[in-house]
Amino acid sequence: MAMTQEEVFSKVKDVLTTALAVDDDEVTPEARLSEDLGAESIDYLDISFQLEKAFAIKIPKGELFPENVFTNPEFVQNGKMTAKGLAEVKSRMPFADLSKFEQDPDINKFRDIFTVDTLVKYVMTKVNG
Amino acid sequence: MKFILVDQLLSLEVGKRIVMAKNVTMAEEYLADHFPGFPVLPGVMMLEAAVQTAAWLVRQTNDFGQSLIVLKEARGVRYGTFVAPGQTLTITADAVEISAGRSDFKVKGTVGPGGATAITARLELAHLNLADTDKGFARSDAVAIAAQRERWQVFSQQTGAPALA
Amino acid sequence: MRWIWIDKFEKFEVNVAAVAVKNVSLAEEHLHDHVPGFPVMPASLMIEGMAQTAGILVGAARNFQEKVILAKIGRARFSRLVRPGEQLVYSAKIVNVSEAGASIEGEITSRTSVGGKPVELEVGAIDMMFSHIDKNMSGMKFPEFNFVFNSQFMELFETYRRELNVELPEKP
Repeated sequence: MAMTQEEVFSKVKDVLTTALAVDDDEVTPEARLSEDLGAESIDYLDISFQLEKAFAIKIPKGELFPENVFTNPEFVQNGKMTAKGLAEVKSRMPFADLSKFEQDPDINKFRDIFTVDTLVKYVMTKVNG
Repeated sequence: MKFILVDQLLSLEVGKRIVMAKNVTMAEEYLADHFPGFPVLPGVMMLEAAVQTAAWLVRQTNDFGQSLIVLKEARGVRYGTFVAPGQTLTITADAVEISAGRSDFKVKGTVGPGGATAITARLELAHLNLADTDKGFARSDAVAIAAQRERWQVFSQQTGAPALA
Repeated sequence: MRWIWIDKFEKFEVNVAAVAVKNVSLAEEHLHDHVPGFPVMPASLMIEGMAQTAGILVGAARNFQEKVILAKIGRARFSRLVRPGEQLVYSAKIVNVSEAGASIEGEITSRTSVGGKPVELEVGAIDMMFSHIDKNMSGMKFPEFNFVFNSQFMELFETYRRELNVELPEKP
């Protein structure tokens, strides 16, 4: 059965309040996982595991949080993501909103694209096909 | 070993915040096991340092009113950088709430001049006296509190250590 | 003091679950100054007991080829104090294991006696996560050899591996 965006958001919120030890009202759609909610690298693995459990989905390695993008010199030069890198990330993460990152593709800001809403959109593609 | 995981008081605001330091040294035997060839402070010892730091703030705030201050719940304990012998773990504990029977804290441990994060956590401590459940233990409460007062003197007098002229 | 916080495995099912026990004894020095005059087992060392039980379980899932490090404690809560003479029981269950790490659910109980009758009481529950550090902390340098699964953990595991009929998977 298809889930509504509200239903998905409410479950994602439960996952984040547990995984990140944050309060309910901090988990807004715009909140950034690292910058606003304090997520560290281990938390991304925790969040993947907990989303799999909460929605009975399988999250293949690198699908939600891409890997091997930053270590590839074709994709990253002088701390900025190249046009090729951006194209790669866009095709791997069709659920993410990259418009802000494109204006200043500083790789240190890459994590900012992971907002609560990004997770909700990703889960929507998994549960509703 | 002595189960004392803080060495020095750096700052104190009763009821609010405390900062203490734990020096990590090769002289600590358990580091030989954790790990052979790669000695680092175990993660749970960072947590213990945080619990002990927070407990000192509780004792100062509640004027040593309870003999037992123990960890009831830890949430969102995240580890960052390792802490190796020769380094100092600096723990800052911010009180969210301190009442007679319980307290809530946000704690953070950092290392080195850049302040790299080694641990962050939310802690809930329970405070109690043994005599609350069994009057026969009143003496144990008194012994524990006296020992804690004495230990606190060591921390609070550190800045006034005599010079050897 | 040494850094080994479990004494014996009672159950070990690769990829699934493990149970280890730890006797709490007045002969252990650390008990004497946690609360002077009233020896109790520190909560942080019970978390370590669970981490060692679970860490070996997670390690066995990949035949001890990964350096398995405690990276996160989602939640650890305790409901009673544990005193000398009691035996702690650490039951760890794998919730998820991937190339990057694993998550665990654990329960702690204590075997003791009340009014002369043996009982097993609830002590606490812990959710924790382990990281396979070679796959995560890129840029940081670690020794090549597996310092996590050093001789003392492997000796403990080997002691009970035959008794409990544990079959390790092939090395990945």
